[in-house]
Amino acid sequence: MTAKARQPRLRDVLLEQVRVTWLALRIPSLVGVGLAAVATVVALPTLIRGGPLNINGWPTWIPGIMGSLMPIAVWGKDERFGPGFLWTLPVDRRRHAFTKVLAGWVWLMAGLVVFLSWLFIMARISGEHVVPRTINLLISPAPPMGLVDPATVRAVPWNPSFLIGLVPFGGATGCYLLGSALVIGTRHPLRWVLGVVMLGALIAVISQPLGTQFGITWLAVAPGRAMEILVGSRYGLDALLTARSETLSTTATLTTAKSLRVWWGIPNLADWGVATLLWTGLGSIALWAAISRHGERRRI
Amino acid sequence: MISDGGSSRSEYAVTTHGLSKRYGRQPALDGVDLRVPDGAVYVLVGANGAGKSTLFKVLMNLERPDAGTAEVFGLDTGRFGPEVRAGIGYVPERQDAPHRAMTCARLLQHASTFYPEWDHAYADHLVRALAVQPQRRVGGLSKGETRRVQLVLALAYRPPLLLLDEPTDGLDPVVRRRALGLLAEHLADTQATVLVSTHHITELESLADHVGVLRDGRLVAQMPRDELQHSVKSYQLEVPDGWEAPPEFQPTGLRRATAGRVVQCTLVGEEREVMQRLAASGAVVRGVIPLSLEDSALAFLPEDPS
Amino acid sequence: MLVTIDPRDERPLYLQIIDQVRRALLEGTLRAEDPLPSVRELAGQLVVNPRTVSQAYGELEREGLIYVRRGQGTFVSSSIAPDRRARRALVRGVAERALVEARRNGLGVEELVSMIWEVAAEETAKKSHSTKPAGREDEEGVA
Repeated sequence: MTAKARQPRLRDVLLEQVRVTWLALRIPSLVGVGLAAVATVVALPTLIRGGPLNINGWPTWIPGIMGSLMPIAVWGKDERFGPGFLWTLPVDRRRHAFTKVLAGWVWLMAGLVVFLSWLFIMARISGEHVVPRTINLLISPAPPMGLVDPATVRAVPWNPSFLIGLVPFGGATGCYLLGSALVIGTRHPLRWVLGVVMLGALIAVISQPLGTQFGITWLAVAPGRAMEILVGSRYGLDALLTARSETLSTTATLTTAKSLRVWWGIPNLADWGVATLLWTGLGSIALWAAISRHGERRRI
Repeated sequence: MISDGGSSRSEYAVTTHGLSKRYGRQPALDGVDLRVPDGAVYVLVGANGAGKSTLFKVLMNLERPDAGTAEVFGLDTGRFGPEVRAGIGYVPERQDAPHRAMTCARLLQHASTFYPEWDHAYADHLVRALAVQPQRRVGGLSKGETRRVQLVLALAYRPPLLLLDEPTDGLDPVVRRRALGLLAEHLADTQATVLVSTHHITELESLADHVGVLRDGRLVAQMPRDELQHSVKSYQLEVPDGWEAPPEFQPTGLRRATAGRVVQCTLVGEEREVMQRLAASGAVVRGVIPLSLEDSALAFLPEDPS
Repeated sequence: MLVTIDPRDERPLYLQIIDQVRRALLEGTLRAEDPLPSVRELAGQLVVNPRTVSQAYGELEREGLIYVRRGQGTFVSSSIAPDRRARRALVRGVAERALVEARRNGLGVEELVSMIWEVAAEETAKKSHSTKPAGREDEEGVA
């Protein structure tokens, strides 16, 4: 009786999801711009003086945070489970979910470009380099204890390949994939996050005294070691997010009472590449599993 | 009592084969063989429960049945979910509108990108007729206003099948009538098939041409509405003491006068046949009252809400 | 032309519509070449399945009472005149319904017919009594 009703083109669906994601990002973007404006104003005196901004440190976490929070903006409060409007549309559900994820990723990359450009400009104005030209390497490859003797520090020229510019994008993507998997795959992602954090804290609090009491050394040490491996190891989280700049450096006070960023190892881009592949691979698998929960109910 | 209605030659828009779905202990659907003829206005009646809505969700491939299959325009709903949904206008039971931060106008525009057949002029007409305010935020709408937006979303692209789950729920009587009038006009334009579940059978009496009754998940009656009204009537009888209604006529609504031997009950069956059997059982028919569509359908449902 | 549906009438809806059109034609509220509401309009107004309206219009067209002008709508036939046939059909419908009702209540044809005459006579008496102007009534009373 009826002519087959037409389905939309995937390209149109993707474009529409990009537009819709922007609608959800208007307020967070405004907040971000506001924060940046505040930071610029605060840094103004330093900029005028031409002094060092000490950018190293907190900005390296921003890409990871942006990636982790983006899924919330993309999926928002809309029904993901049950008969949500999203799933009643005439598009294959897995593909539809992927277009939403992709739309969010596009805006994530755009937002990062804006953020990094701002950082770059600030750095240039103050005469600094975002990526340091010289690394103050400690002679002994170990974190310093107490005050540092300037004699133990060597200024080593560092000229990493341009690929280092991809570090924030890779880090944000990895976090975005994992965050999306969590948001899409669970009904209450926040409860899961809190649950895992609390469980981890509980284990950490218990295992230490328990281990020392019963003389089980590995138990006392395990939580700390686990965190170390997860974050600071060769392919850990820090490798993904900052190419291990955080694990390999710190701001130390010299015996001359000046403060200086000292390193006990040089970031290795090959390691960073592997770490990125590992984490984005893990994220992709988790995402695919999460999306499949909502797939079309095909029967054999 | 299932009947084909004599028009079995025409194609069916919706067919289900032994559809079953259980939530916990209760069967929401139990071996349902639904047949909705193409172009029909099929009213699905049943007590409050998951059955009717579950059926709609299976057709939209939002739920997987435990057993059985369903087809819409010949396409299996499980294997061809997106294709099937492209031809369906769905008004869901719950009124949670999506994208709460958008304005109504933006939401309609959003939906229009998914349906290439979307008619913007017709959508505007629907918006005006249903008094939807385009600039209001979706999240701030009342239950009734959300319902109206959902109606526009379902009708604007003139789908060949409309699945309406309590479409007038939450609407005041004036808007209800206008919405149903719009539906009638819509049917005149598109010759769509309508499968509607409702508690307000009365207001759909003039629109419906087929009726199905779901009871405890089973489809206990399915036939054209004329046949239903012919086969269910209320009989006023004078009976001897200790008289019981013949069970094969599914008596419901039995009422005995406190004095005398007068009984009123609703019986299912062809009028002449029923009269003969009643006479044979010793009852004297004092009056036969035809019933409204609602009362005829309710004859198939249990009387106590247990 | 105003068409209404009586929900308590057990006749098929399309017959109700046909009867109302026939009555309008007999009364003269519908005249030759008058436009009828389109199927779409009438269905929307009455909240009735458009097929029902089509069925009614189809039947009326078959009887020659209305015709369709392509692209312009449905109109009353030009050759319409107070039709004895149509009147008879109307009366027949009423009679059939009355007989079914009587049978259901266990009443005979003779009782029904004589009661109809009685009630009609009562109503005429009531009507003529109430339309007398007030002054005359006093005179009658005095006289």
